[in-house]
Amino acid sequence: MKIAVCIKRVPDMDVRFKIAPIGNAVDEAGLKFDINDFDSWAVEAALQIKDKDSATEVVIVSLGSDSVQETIRKALAMGADRGVELKVARIPFDGLAIAHALAAELKGGGFDLILFGKQSADSSNGAVGAMVGELLGLPVVTAISKLELAGATGSAKREIEGGQEFVEFPLPAVLTIDQGLNTARYPALKGIMAAKKKPLDVRPAQLGEQSVSVTKMELPPERPAGRIIGEGASAVPELVGLLQTEAKVL
Amino acid sequence: MANVFAFAETRNGELRKIGLEAVTAARKIADETGGKVDAFIAGAPGVGAHAEQLAKYGADTVIVVEHAGLEKYNPEALAATVAERIRGGAYRIAIFPTSALGSDLAPRVAAKLGVGLVTDVTAVNLDGDAVIVQHPVNIGKVMATVKMTSQPALIGIRPNMFTPVENPRAGAVERAEPVGDPSASRVVVKEVKLGSSAKLDLGEAPVIVSGGRGLKGPENFKLLEDLAAAFGNAAIGATRVVTDEGWRPHSDQIGQTGRLVSPQLYVAVGISGAIQHLAGMRTSRTIVAINKDKEAPIFKIADYGIVGDLFEIVPVLTAAVKEAKSRG
Amino acid sequence: MTVGHGIFILIVVLSLSFFSYNAQRLVRYMMSIGQPENRTDHPLTRIKNLFIIGLAQKKILRDAVAGPLHASVFWGFVVLTIGTAEIIVQGLFPGFTYAAILPVPLYEFYILSQELFAVLVLAAVAVLLYRRIVVKPKRLQGDKVHSGDAILILSMIGALMVSLITLGAFGFALHPDSSTIFQPVSLALSHVFGGLSAGTLEAGRETSWWFHALLILVFLNYLPYSKHLHVLTSLPNTYLANTSGPGVKGAMSYMDLEAEGAEQFGASDVTQLGWKSLLDSYSCTECGRCTAVCPANITGKLLSPRKIMINTRQRLMELAPLATGDFGEFEHHTLVAGEGGDAGDASASAALGNTLLDNYITEEELWACTSCRACVEECPVSIDQLDIINELRRDLVLMESRFPPEIQPAFESLEKNGSPWAFDPGDRAKWAEGMDIPTMAEMVERGERPEVLFWVGCMGSFDDRAKKIAVAFARVLQAAKVKFAILGQEEKCNGDPARRMGNEYLYQMLARDNIETLDRYGVETIVTNCPHCFHQIGNEYPQLGGNYEVIHHSTYIEKLMDENRLPLNGEGKALTVAYHDSCYLGRYNGIYEAPRETMKRALPMMTLVEPPRNRSKGLCCGAGGGRMWMEETVGKRINVERTEELLATGADVLAVACPFCMTMIGDGVKAQGSSVPVLDISEVIAQQLGNQS
Ligand code: SF4
Ligand code: SF4
Repeated sequence: MKIAVCIKRVPDMDVRFKIAPIGNAVDEAGLKFDINDFDSWAVEAALQIKDKDSATEVVIVSLGSDSVQETIRKALAMGADRGVELKVARIPFDGLAIAHALAAELKGGGFDLILFGKQSADSSNGAVGAMVGELLGLPVVTAISKLELAGATGSAKREIEGGQEFVEFPLPAVLTIDQGLNTARYPALKGIMAAKKKPLDVRPAQLGEQSVSVTKMELPPERPAGRIIGEGASAVPELVGLLQTEAKVL
Repeated sequence: MANVFAFAETRNGELRKIGLEAVTAARKIADETGGKVDAFIAGAPGVGAHAEQLAKYGADTVIVVEHAGLEKYNPEALAATVAERIRGGAYRIAIFPTSALGSDLAPRVAAKLGVGLVTDVTAVNLDGDAVIVQHPVNIGKVMATVKMTSQPALIGIRPNMFTPVENPRAGAVERAEPVGDPSASRVVVKEVKLGSSAKLDLGEAPVIVSGGRGLKGPENFKLLEDLAAAFGNAAIGATRVVTDEGWRPHSDQIGQTGRLVSPQLYVAVGISGAIQHLAGMRTSRTIVAINKDKEAPIFKIADYGIVGDLFEIVPVLTAAVKEAKSRG
Repeated sequence: MTVGHGIFILIVVLSLSFFSYNAQRLVRYMMSIGQPENRTDHPLTRIKNLFIIGLAQKKILRDAVAGPLHASVFWGFVVLTIGTAEIIVQGLFPGFTYAAILPVPLYEFYILSQELFAVLVLAAVAVLLYRRIVVKPKRLQGDKVHSGDAILILSMIGALMVSLITLGAFGFALHPDSSTIFQPVSLALSHVFGGLSAGTLEAGRETSWWFHALLILVFLNYLPYSKHLHVLTSLPNTYLANTSGPGVKGAMSYMDLEAEGAEQFGASDVTQLGWKSLLDSYSCTECGRCTAVCPANITGKLLSPRKIMINTRQRLMELAPLATGDFGEFEHHTLVAGEGGDAGDASASAALGNTLLDNYITEEELWACTSCRACVEECPVSIDQLDIINELRRDLVLMESRFPPEIQPAFESLEKNGSPWAFDPGDRAKWAEGMDIPTMAEMVERGERPEVLFWVGCMGSFDDRAKKIAVAFARVLQAAKVKFAILGQEEKCNGDPARRMGNEYLYQMLARDNIETLDRYGVETIVTNCPHCFHQIGNEYPQLGGNYEVIHHSTYIEKLMDENRLPLNGEGKALTVAYHDSCYLGRYNGIYEAPRETMKRALPMMTLVEPPRNRSKGLCCGAGGGRMWMEETVGKRINVERTEELLATGADVLAVACPFCMTMIGDGVKAQGSSVPVLDISEVIAQQLGNQS
């Protein structure tokens, strides 16, 4: 089996972001970057297949500046076999432009599975995986939280609002991974050392044309912290009202 | 003049609320420039009956595609059909829902058409030839203004952002055939399971009702079960103390050493908010805390807090939620 | 030369050869299987240990009952060995006696000492046998310890003493003129033999001599097959014990991650342990003192530090003969007592395939350890059980990525956020808002330098309860007009959780970042209220080139009091306070009095009460060794066990000096449904600050 996993390097989200002076990006100073969570589960999914069948080759593909090499190495440390950096100065926001670059790389690669995370934590569009599948003319199943493979067919579960969908598809296929499929393994130092010696090719990305761009970024107003709305059961009506109108969760 | 395409999502032959939201959003943009709204609805034979409803919310035309092969979500057939319709329609914008279905469908269509797509959009505006949308990035911590220049621009709207407003139009029905053979799709939805008959997993539940030491004993978790049932889509969580005491199974533990969750709504009942617990739930979208100690750290991170006796407050809350749910 | 003389010479030569053969083999196993390690640094500390722990039996005496008994046997052995030598030399050179070479008073003192110690040892042995056979104390059970071995050895020692005395008694009865008051017991006994014929007496004397001399040789040769090998190894073991430096205990061993060709990190088998750990395994007497004080074991977990040592020896004895080419010895892989072959099939290839980790010691045992050092503190022969646990944990994490799943978020947050909890590093200094506490960066910008840097730690930065400790200590510093700064956002976790959980890679990443920050500001003196930060930065950062004076807040407050810098209101409150000793403050750093002393001075009318386990015998709160981030599902919870002891003192207030202890004891108090407040010592003191500041 030959599996490609497309991953993205994203900033750690546990911080309060600042907007960079250019106004349409966050200030990257002091941010920690790592593999996007959904993508790490995609890597894990590939590695679990490899665990069962050691003849599996897992190739990591990531688009970005040279700093993505660190992220690719992390996936290699987890156990993937080799990596490809599709080099760009800056990752564009336009998912289709990225999808073209990835499709160009993956085309003719003989992959049985091409895995993506469901979406990236930073640009949060959740579009690239399905776009790549479409550009390659491959079957696509998105946002899966369960996967079974049997020969040349696979079955998957997708979470939908208020239920689940069970989907069947033939291989080769493109899948995007949702939460719940697995938890990513923690790379051991041994793996980190081994990853340093694994092949990592760097090629210029052949980005598609871009029609979507970020013109401005802003911080939404901070939500008022810790509002005690009242004491005792008499505060309940106001709480329910706020949940409906303000928080919109009811 | 901006013509807008709106994808009206159905499930099981029923029109979903997000479908009306798409039409409402489309209507608003079209009206700014005197354009037309084409709503698109597809499904098993009979789904066209919803055309009237779509017209009531602002569709000038309703494109109806009925086919037995479209009874369940059929991504490949639907993407091909929708792409074909959009290609032939000279639209400025095509609106999709950011739902499980819409998030799967829209990128396929965008790739087929070679046009731009932004999902999870909270506001749409026109600016000359461009479409300007608001789209939260970095898990909602930053709001991006995005400029789209492709014709059309594909947009996925975030649910509950465009409240459906009645705005009746003629709603001429235009029947169409699916592109290709829907039964020849490679990706097939075999089965759809609805309803939360199975216990909701903590990682997936949109609402979590969680209890701490304040519950005083395992028997009192009944209160939380009732509250969760009132929400309908809630799972029950607990603090480490509770699971250590054996009041709840270890799999229910939320916190650094248990599950790390971030539901839409987190209701913390009788939880003081130890660091180990906060680390596991503080990224929840909305946090409600009920605790008798107003100094409890949980109130520092809660959006809404009620100070008082949980045994008195929770039953009242359960009743109120039940009522709100039955109304809405 | 008589026939007997000839036979004796032959026996001595044979038995010494056999002994030397075994001894060289054990040394060879240890040195060729174990990894090189330097254990000759700090010679003065080592000599001091040898005298205090070795000769003065300081640690043996920590057990009020068995301690004096065993110490008597030990001292008896030291003294009697001189006599034993005389007897053996007598056998080789008939007629030899110390009387010939010693001045009379000295000789008389010598024979008196022999006699007295023989009786002392005999009495001690009798009581010890009674304990083994009748009393059966709990710590001598379990872990498949060899009670039979112990009874055999005690009996041999008893027989040696009896024969020594009968030897004298028969001699005196035979030649009453030679009898002397300096051998009172023999003398008394000789009167009993008075009626026997000269022939019988001579035979009795001969028999006693031969019995004694031969038994000594048997004893010597039995040692390598017994847990009583410690008779020979305990003193060297004490000398070679881990000393990270004078006054520095418990620093984990340095690991060079960039070393050329390094492929193994940590240990999964004896071949990857340092040779000293193997010597430790030879030296273990199976006394169970370590296991008896182990908080994990006490509360019903699988971990037993004694078992760790026995397993290490078993595995060494299984592997070493094969690995060193002593194939003929394979059959004897139980050479040193222990159930070698425990791990299953005893075929050579199976033995080679076994490992210490998994086949002998399971993951579950290793993760139960709180790194409290109680075992190391208690071990009378200076064994470091924790060293082995730490090395095996390192292998689990660094080589195999095997660990309880719940600690992965802690590892990931440490890497991304510099704290074991996923909080925004930007919020680190939030606790200090409105207190007018400058960060180092701000101070440097103003061109000023602080007297000390207050290292707040992750608990103090993010935990709501611990933030109050940080505030209290900052108030104390301000009241004493100490010019101090914090690092704020630039501070990161000191790395202790990662290191203790075996993640050396992550630890070094954090530590190097911190050292870089501290050095950039030229920080010299650091105060901290967290014993883990205190130990780590002060005692372990030097391994990575970070050298600072690090002071725990208890000591620092004491110093401020000594210098009369702290304005205390002197109000007396008749409180009863029970103080809980932190492991990393106490056993790791020997600070027991400063926390108590500072509270006493701040609260003149306070009564300090102690739980039965206190100071170096204090029971861990359960948070160390990364246990803070792990589940505790087996047995009783350690924090509850400890809190019960503390509450049983009837104290009005429980005092701690560590934010982790605060969490654990605080939770324990809540679990008991008690409302006794738990306060950090700095909070106790901050309450007593006068208004004049
Ligand atoms: S360090 Fe403490 S917990 Fe670990 S084995 Fe020793 S006594 Fe037990
Ligand atoms: S390790 Fe030390 S304390 Fe533990 S059983 Fe062995 S000799 Fe006794």
